Amino acid sequence: MAVMTYIDAINSALREEMARDSSVFLIGEDIGKMGGAFRATKGLLEEFGGDRVIDSPLAEGVIVSSSIGAAMAGMRPVPEIQFVDFITPAMDAITQQAAKLRYRSAGTQTCPMTVRVCYGGSVGGGLYHSQSNTSWFIHCPGLVVVAPSRPYDAKGLLKAAIRDDNPVMFFEHKKLYRSMKEEVPESDYIVPLMKAAIARPGRDITAISYGYTLQLTLQAAEQMKQKHGVDVEVIDLRTLAPLDTDTFLESVAKTSRAVVIHEDNRTLGIGAEVAATIAEQAFDCLDAPILRVTAPDVPLLPAAADLEKFCTVSEDKIVAALERSMAY
Amino acid sequence: MATTVEPTRIAADVLMEKQSPEPDGALYRRLYSYMLKCRMVEERIRVLYRQGRFAGNYFAAVGQEATEVGVTLDLLPEDTIAPSHRNFVTHIMKGTPLPLMFAQIYGRKTSPDQGRSAPAHCGYAPLNVITPSSTIAAQLNVGTGIALAYTMRRRPNVVVALSGEGSTSLGFWHEAVNFAGVRRLPILIVVENNGYAESVPVALQTAVDDISVKAQAYGIPGVSVDGNDVVAVYAAAREAIDRARKGEGPTLLECRTYRWYGHSEIDPAKYRDPAEVAYWKARDPITAMELRLESAQLWTERWKRELESEFTREIDEAIAFAESSPAPEGKEALDEVYSFSIRERELERKVWEPRFTVGRAE
Repeated sequence: MAVMTYIDAINSALREEMARDSSVFLIGEDIGKMGGAFRATKGLLEEFGGDRVIDSPLAEGVIVSSSIGAAMAGMRPVPEIQFVDFITPAMDAITQQAAKLRYRSAGTQTCPMTVRVCYGGSVGGGLYHSQSNTSWFIHCPGLVVVAPSRPYDAKGLLKAAIRDDNPVMFFEHKKLYRSMKEEVPESDYIVPLMKAAIARPGRDITAISYGYTLQLTLQAAEQMKQKHGVDVEVIDLRTLAPLDTDTFLESVAKTSRAVVIHEDNRTLGIGAEVAATIAEQAFDCLDAPILRVTAPDVPLLPAAADLEKFCTVSEDKIVAALERSMAY
Repeated sequence: MATTVEPTRIAADVLMEKQSPEPDGALYRRLYSYMLKCRMVEERIRVLYRQGRFAGNYFAAVGQEATEVGVTLDLLPEDTIAPSHRNFVTHIMKGTPLPLMFAQIYGRKTSPDQGRSAPAHCGYAPLNVITPSSTIAAQLNVGTGIALAYTMRRRPNVVVALSGEGSTSLGFWHEAVNFAGVRRLPILIVVENNGYAESVPVALQTAVDDISVKAQAYGIPGVSVDGNDVVAVYAAAREAIDRARKGEGPTLLECRTYRWYGHSEIDPAKYRDPAEVAYWKARDPITAMELRLESAQLWTERWKRELESEFTREIDEAIAFAESSPAPEGKEALDEVYSFSIRERELERKVWEPRFTVGRAE
């Protein structure tokens, strides 16, 4: 075991998978000599050479579409999108090509590709360095969408994603990159895709989140315990599509209350799908309306500190929703 | 074959001499017979569509056969074709079985996509034809990745990517050509300039006369050829493909041609001057090749009829296979979304019962 940040965990997963499998290669802007905008690929050019760590032209469309072709031809590409805010030129490649390739070829042509995407706010990045946009991809069957909340999962899920035979959108939260450390195995392990985790067991109310807001939710759960003696069960979705619904439905059947927390916009965010699933499949279990804590429906995230703060999820906002649900 | 004649050199073509190990006559007859087959397949598909025997739509390349054949004939099985919606017939040159192509037209279970995409969107994994999508220039972009994999694996293979002149207006097209140039990828980027992108004429698409000049911006060779001259197209494609195989990078090849019919079977193409259509029909690539072969005593009416009856039989058999093939069952729509099945989660939604006493967890 070693104490690692989230970015260390990503780097370690990439290094191990590249060493394990010669078909794994990286492509993206600034990932070579510079080691990536956030240094996720630091040292990998020196270790694996320019054929496997490709500094690409500034063109997200061909970063992803060339990866799709390489995947079809037997490689396991790991393209990097420096900020999800810049992913739009690659939307045709991701949603029309990668997501539908297996389907439109009846399983004869496939795309084992992992698109690493840096996302998320609360770093003062302004409108074009703070977006989440996970819903764009959750709404696109054929893609697996993953968003780890901690270093241990970041490494284990990335390794699982690279070995997976589906196109995976791997969302890395920039605020998490260096804000927390934990023990991470230096030996080989994976964290399974499409499986949620119980991040904190509890029996009174279910709080469902992922990514950076999962960490805020854990803090809110602790506050609820201290202030009210309420045991919050925190579910970490980890994979946003296809969604592991059983884990949170099982939890709600036990607690009878649910709050969903995410930093993406409210309308058609993952919270809407989680809430609808609970309403459809566990209606008789509920003792309170399902609540959501999300960003408002405005372009995310405005730059000035007070504007940003207004739009972002916080520990206090989560506590307020948990209290409202408990009081119902 | 009806008549046996000595292979004769037709229109001294230095490139052909270098590129083709077989006697020119045999090659020229092969180019001709493939064009004829493509024409017959597409004309039959158009009849089937008007008869209502398959649903959807079709995008015929009738009139463009010299380009379809010239750029895709004599590829290796491991080479890739990255086709657009109008390149269905390129499967014939790659070797995809004709019955599977017609099963694709009919959307049957036996087709390469098992009825999922669209009649014209035929791919074929065993011979490396990418399953097309309708978004323009997409296959060219995906093709650069296959070419990248060939270079990474040190394989002597090439990608032939086809798209129309309209595709060159998209930023996406330029991303791919630029990337191919930077990485010196083994890819032949074919632009079939048939004068119209659906209804929009080429003059509203680009301000240059020769689309091949766009290659200069990306540091790769650009060539424009008469896309109705199958010999010229084949020669130019061969040269580019051979260079690509040797690691000398990509080429942009513009083939100037014309589609006889509308953009699709539902487009009467009234935006075109009938005189223009007549002009181009008079430049039919198949008739032109017939005259060329005949003047060299390589063509007879009887040989043509033999070819026609052979192809008619093949097409009839392929249609019979397609029409007797089962249609996919409705719930098969749930398959091949992922590497794992989603049938259970889509079809069986379990209902959870409370596991607590009223109002409070146990």
